[in-house]
Amino acid sequence: MTTARLAAGNIAGNADLNAQKHIEPLEGAGACPITGAQSTSGCTPPQATGTSASLIACNDVHVSYPGSEQEALRGVTFSVPAGQHVCILGGNGSGKSTLLQLFNALVLPSEGSVTVFGMRTDEPGQALAIRSRAAYVFQHPEDQMVTSIVADDVAFGPENIRVPQPEIEHRVETSLAAVDMSAHAQADPADLSGGQKQRVAIAGALAMEPEILLLDEPCAMLDLEGRRAVSDIIERLSACGITIMHVTHFMDDALAADRVLILDQGRLAFDGTPSEAFSQPELIRELGLELPNKVHTAEELFGKHAETRGTANASAASTLHSTTRHAAIDAAATRTSTLAPHAAARPSIVFEDVSFSYTAARNPRKRARTLFGVHRKRGENATLQAQQQARQRIAGNMPLALEHLSFNASPGTLTALIGRTGSGKSTSAELACALKLPYSGRVLVDGIDTTDLSRRSELRRKVGYVSQLPERQLFAETVFDDVAFGPRNLKLPEEEVAQRVNRALETVGMNPSDDLLNRSPFALSGGQQRNVALAGVLAMGQPILVLDEPMAGLDPRGRANVRLMLHELKQAGTTLLMVTHSMEDVLELADQVILLDQGKLVAAGTPQAVLAQARDGEVQNHGATR
Amino acid sequence: MAQRASIGQYYSVDSPIHRLDPRVKFVGTVVYMASCLFVDSFATLLLAALVAAGAVATSNVPVRRLLAQIKPIAFFLIVTSVINLFFVQTGPVLVALGPLVIYQNGLVAAALYTIRFFLLVLAGSLLTLTTTPVALTDAVEKLLSPLERAGVPVSQGTLILSIALRFVPTLSRETENIIAAQTARGADLENKGAFAYARACVPLVVPLFASALRHAENLGRAMDARCYTGGDRTHYHILRMVPSRDYPAIALLITYIALLVAAHFLL
Repeated sequence: MTTARLAAGNIAGNADLNAQKHIEPLEGAGACPITGAQSTSGCTPPQATGTSASLIACNDVHVSYPGSEQEALRGVTFSVPAGQHVCILGGNGSGKSTLLQLFNALVLPSEGSVTVFGMRTDEPGQALAIRSRAAYVFQHPEDQMVTSIVADDVAFGPENIRVPQPEIEHRVETSLAAVDMSAHAQADPADLSGGQKQRVAIAGALAMEPEILLLDEPCAMLDLEGRRAVSDIIERLSACGITIMHVTHFMDDALAADRVLILDQGRLAFDGTPSEAFSQPELIRELGLELPNKVHTAEELFGKHAETRGTANASAASTLHSTTRHAAIDAAATRTSTLAPHAAARPSIVFEDVSFSYTAARNPRKRARTLFGVHRKRGENATLQAQQQARQRIAGNMPLALEHLSFNASPGTLTALIGRTGSGKSTSAELACALKLPYSGRVLVDGIDTTDLSRRSELRRKVGYVSQLPERQLFAETVFDDVAFGPRNLKLPEEEVAQRVNRALETVGMNPSDDLLNRSPFALSGGQQRNVALAGVLAMGQPILVLDEPMAGLDPRGRANVRLMLHELKQAGTTLLMVTHSMEDVLELADQVILLDQGKLVAAGTPQAVLAQARDGEVQNHGATR
Repeated sequence: MAQRASIGQYYSVDSPIHRLDPRVKFVGTVVYMASCLFVDSFATLLLAALVAAGAVATSNVPVRRLLAQIKPIAFFLIVTSVINLFFVQTGPVLVALGPLVIYQNGLVAAALYTIRFFLLVLAGSLLTLTTTPVALTDAVEKLLSPLERAGVPVSQGTLILSIALRFVPTLSRETENIIAAQTARGADLENKGAFAYARACVPLVVPLFASALRHAENLGRAMDARCYTGGDRTHYHILRMVPSRDYPAIALLITYIALLVAAHFLL
């Protein structure tokens, strides 16, 4: 297992593959970062694997999990030749992840057979041989790292397959270089952004010098920038001749692939090229998917990398994009006009020149220390004094996560907070619900200053908070108890609690049957858990709702469901403040957009205005002058 | 964005201490920490403090960073010194304020025991700040490898240690997120007494356990996928003593111990 298989010899074979895929060579990347580096080490070209031309072959595969009535896979047959880039699509529970785990023997078929590199995965002793040549990257980068130094983690796989030490060193270097993470070799993964972590995880897979790369929703938890970086790397690796099997919820990823497999309830519902797939909108919708689109809109907004991406392949579907996008813009326009009366109402969230620093963060649960006189009382003098002090200290080079942010949000509208990782979006969201207190400036929620501890419980009744991955806060024994947690904390009578639980579950699109109410929330699927967690917040009945990426990690159906819920809440007059990475959601839902960058406001206004501003290049200029 | 937990955190700079063979560092630290328990006079305390100061100075780790690591036990240090101050009641009386009587030996004990304990913790912190978790586990694995023949799963044990360190910041951040989420749902965590707080912790502890289990399951799968079998593996870092670096360090350590023993018997 110690001989490298990827290599220069393969580049020639890939030249025509490149042409066929219309991949524009990335500037400076020298077309093949990995192979380029490895050719110098005298690695051997990949062996023609097995007797057949296909690297992976599934023959009528069935998989059933113990305790589950329905099979996860119900008779799947297909094969994949070496060098192909395959995207596997499908809704939650369609069997995508199960399928992917079949390819490196993490899951074995209960019927049928899976052959990888000519080896049957269910034969004893083959699993390790397959895994050393078919590397796997999981959805959560945090859960695949074993140590707190990036380079040491990348070395973990090679150590396990007994690669000799000098060779490990070389592999760590080239793998980190291939994902542009060489500069972070000695960093602690905990200090990296999600996208960087995922790139390290990919480096860990590449260090195995795999012939097949199995990617299990590697971008699901990433922001736009992280996604783009990972997608670029995937395309580069594909151009190097590595066979890629990519499970994804993002249709745009599929555009870069040679082939698309769509799973529906354990069956293979489609097998063909991306353009074939997306030229059948009815089929796509029927399978709970959506048409690829709005990444391009986002690119217009952020104005980055727009030219560097290989978009030629997307041309087939580009007409679709523009139509859907324009429809969305039109929809947004009509919505803002109909909502004009709402907008005139008293703003329920007010940020007044708010700054925040993690180094000077106050405990939001404790009274402000009167000793220092900062933020003591809400008297004008004290506030002024505090702000002056704040400015002085800000001048003293204190890192600010948020700088002088001001905006208002009105009932019946949705304000979208957008920007890349570290821009201060989530911080703003937490400031809006008194989970963090401003360093200077004021946050008013329905007229209540968030620093006013005496009115804190009143404030809690006004503003609800949906954290990132809210399903992680589930704790109760039954769905009912979990959703009822909030209302019970409000000391409501039990009848009213039950009513609210039912109503909240209906709002998130779940039927509050006894069967559901008595189930353990941990026994639900991921999408259902998200809904229950959302219901747990909605049941509080607060007129203001702050949501931190409520759609992250959901499949298209789940996303559509949450979007529908947000529309309904808006109609009911709820003030919504939402952190999001999805321009699609912004265009469809937002009445006001706040674009942040490194804690500063870059643009604010209606989605169209912010988009227009971005088109005029103001945003880019702003970014460039920094 | 959460405050970083600093337990077992590596401080990435280059220094003679960073470059020492982790085995030398590990054994040296353990020996030094043990030696602190034999410090019983101001002369030996001075000796031990000099060694610690020398090590800190050559490590290129900012003193501030080092003290930040020791901060969590500052309270404990203060308590032990106060206990020593008032409960050691031998020697001449220095201060007598009503029921409060401070004896000379009490003062000596308070200073001596507190400082030597401080040095002990300092040494441990310096080890983790200058040694990556992998180097540390490699060293322990190598040092304990004779036990492997007796059936003790040394390499698995050290890997578990490394993984535990790796998940400290992850879990502390998740705890903070869960606290935020449940607080927003009206969990009674604001200005409550200890008992009510403990009861209110159920909605925090359950999701945290669920999260730890989920991490464990995912990590197990990831390790499987990355061909970990618990069997024989190679190592990215080769442990090799460099005479020019490691031998002087060993010599210094031996000299220190010899001086300490001499001081103990002569003074």
